Amino acid sequence: MGFLLVLKAELVRAFIIMRRYWFATLTSIIIGYGVLLMLILTFFYNRSEIQGWADKTIGENATNWALGFIVGMFAFGIVGLFSQGLQGMARSGELEQVYMSPHGLITNFLARSFVASVSSILSSALMLWLIALSVKGKLHADFGPTLVLLALTYLNLIGFGFMVGGLVLVFKQTGQIAILIRTALIFLAIFATKDVENWWLPARLLAHILPITDAAICLKMVLIEGIGTDVFAQDSFWFLIISSAIWTFLGISCFKIMENWSRDKGTLGAY
Amino acid sequence: MSNSHLVELNDVDKVFHTRHFFFKDEDTARRRLYAKRVVHAVDRVTFGIRHGEIFGLLGPNGAGKTTTVKMISGLVRPSSGDVFVDGLHVERKRLKVLRKVGVVLEGTRTCVWPLTPLENLAYFGNLKDVKGSILKQRARELLIFMGLKDKMNVQVRKLSRGEKQKLAICIALIADPPVILLDEPTTGLDVQTSRVIKDKIVQMTREQGKCVLVTTHDMHVAQELCDRIGIINMGQLVACKPTEELLSLFFDLTYEFHLDRLPDSDALADLPGVLEVEPARHEDGPVLVLRLQPELAQRSEALYTVTGRLREQGVLLRAIIQRQASLESVFLHLTTSPVDLPKVALTQPSGAEVR
Repeated sequence: MGFLLVLKAELVRAFIIMRRYWFATLTSIIIGYGVLLMLILTFFYNRSEIQGWADKTIGENATNWALGFIVGMFAFGIVGLFSQGLQGMARSGELEQVYMSPHGLITNFLARSFVASVSSILSSALMLWLIALSVKGKLHADFGPTLVLLALTYLNLIGFGFMVGGLVLVFKQTGQIAILIRTALIFLAIFATKDVENWWLPARLLAHILPITDAAICLKMVLIEGIGTDVFAQDSFWFLIISSAIWTFLGISCFKIMENWSRDKGTLGAY
Repeated sequence: MSNSHLVELNDVDKVFHTRHFFFKDEDTARRRLYAKRVVHAVDRVTFGIRHGEIFGLLGPNGAGKTTTVKMISGLVRPSSGDVFVDGLHVERKRLKVLRKVGVVLEGTRTCVWPLTPLENLAYFGNLKDVKGSILKQRARELLIFMGLKDKMNVQVRKLSRGEKQKLAICIALIADPPVILLDEPTTGLDVQTSRVIKDKIVQMTREQGKCVLVTTHDMHVAQELCDRIGIINMGQLVACKPTEELLSLFFDLTYEFHLDRLPDSDALADLPGVLEVEPARHEDGPVLVLRLQPELAQRSEALYTVTGRLREQGVLLRAIIQRQASLESVFLHLTTSPVDLPKVALTQPSGAEVR
C-alpha cells in the first residue's frame, strides 16, 4: 500500500514535469533518434551501401545494434539514478527530504526507478521502432515475453543499482567509478550475443554476473530473431532469473546496511 | 522519561570519525598522507520539549545544532543516548517517528522546483501518507495560512526565497505532525518575511498545540519566539532555561556606574563579589561596567564596597544603572567565556530540572 502511494506520487510528478516540459521531452526523443541513426550510418554503412539503403541484412544488423544500444542506455539510466542521481539528491538536500518520508528510502527509490523505467521504455520503444523503419530492419512485437524480460531486466538493474547506490551513500566518490561501470554496461548490451557461451571462462562468468548481458541476449532473441516464448527455454533466460534474484537480494541488503552506516557517518545529506 | 514532553533527548552523544587523505595539517603546516580525526559534535545533551512549546536551540557555527535536529528526525544516528518523539524511540521506531515529525533543514532544496506549491504539497502529502480530499483541503489551507494563496499555481522556481521557505514550512506541516523542527528558518530572509514566518510559527504553536524546535543564529528571533532556550556550544548544552529566566540571570548581574572620571579599575577587580570590571566611555561621560556575583548577599556587599571605594578615590557618582540583558549578550557570555559563569544555575545534571 505504501509503495503504491509513493508510486502514485512519483508518477504524478513525472507526468506533470513531462507535460510541463513537453518540448524538452520531444526534442530529447528526436535528438536520441538522430544520434542513433547517425551512429548506425557511421558504423554499418559505407558510401555505396548508403545508396543501397534497402539491404535487408544490414538493416537487421543495424536494428540489432540499435536495440543493444537502447538496452544499454536503459541500464545506463537506471544505474545512473542510483549513482549520479543519488549524488545530486544528496547535494541538493532532496535525499534527506525523501528519507524523511515514512516509507523509507528503499520504497522511494523503487518507485522512482519504476517510473523512470516506464518512461524510458516508452520513449525507447518509440525510438527503436523509428530506427527499424528507417533502416528497413524488422522487429517482432511479442508483448508477453518482452514484458517478462523487461521486468526481469528492471529487477536485475535495480538490484545492481541499489548496490552502487548503497556505496554512493557512504563513499560519495564511488559515483565517478560508477560512470565507468555504466559505460561498460552499454558496450556489453551492444555486443552481447549467444556467442558469450564461447568466451573464455572468466570472461563468460563476468558477462553472466553483470546484470545486462543475459537481458540483452534474451531481448535480442525475442525482438530481432522473433523466437517468442521459446526464449523461456534458453540458458540465458535462466541466467537472467538467477542474476535478478541475486542482484535484487544483494543490492537491497547492501543498500540497507549502507543506509545505516551513512546515518552513522552523517553523510546522508552531504556530498 | 516524562509524559509531558513530546521530544526528549537523554544523554545524547554524537561522535564523527573522519578520515583525511593527502591534506595539509593546519596545526603543523605540513602535508600529511593520512589522518583520522574524531569530532565530538554533540556531547551528552539532555533536554525535552513540551506540547505547545517553542524551544530555541542557539549556538555558534559547528556547535551541534543541526546534528541535534538530524538526530531527532532520524537522519543521523546518535553514538549513545536515547531520543524519543511522542514516547517512541527514534532508532527503534524510526518510520513511525517520521509520521510525527515535520522538518525544514537549512540550505536544502525542500521542494520540487518544476512543480507548483499545490503540486508540491500533493507530492509530499502522498509520500507522507496523506490521501485524497484531506490532502487537497489541507494543502489549500496551509498555503492560505502561510500567505501563498496567490502563488498556489506558480512554479516554485519562480518564487522568491522567502516564498520558498514558507512553502518548505507548509511541506513540513502537510501531514499535520505534532513536532516541527525548523533549522534556521529565517536565515537570509528580509525583515518582513522573517516577521511573517515568526508570526506563523507562534500562531501554529499556540492554536494547534504543536511542539516546535527552532535553531537560529538570530538572537532577536529566539528572544521574540522561544518559550525556552537551550544554548549549545562545542556540542555541550551550556544553558537550558525559559527565555525570561535566562535573561534575568544576566539582567541582575551587570551594573553601569556613570561617573565624572574613571577610577583605578584594577583596584575594584579584586573586590569580593566582583566578577568583571570594564571601563567604557559613553556620550554623557565615563562609565564603569561591573559584572557581579549572582547571589544576592554577595552582590549587595559588592555594590556597597564598590561605591565606598569610588568615594575613597574622590570619584563623583552620577548614576547606577542595572543593564538590560539581551539574549545576544547572554549568548556571547555563554559561548565565549563559559568558565566564569554560574553553571549550576544554568544546567543541572538531572534532565528533569533542565527541562
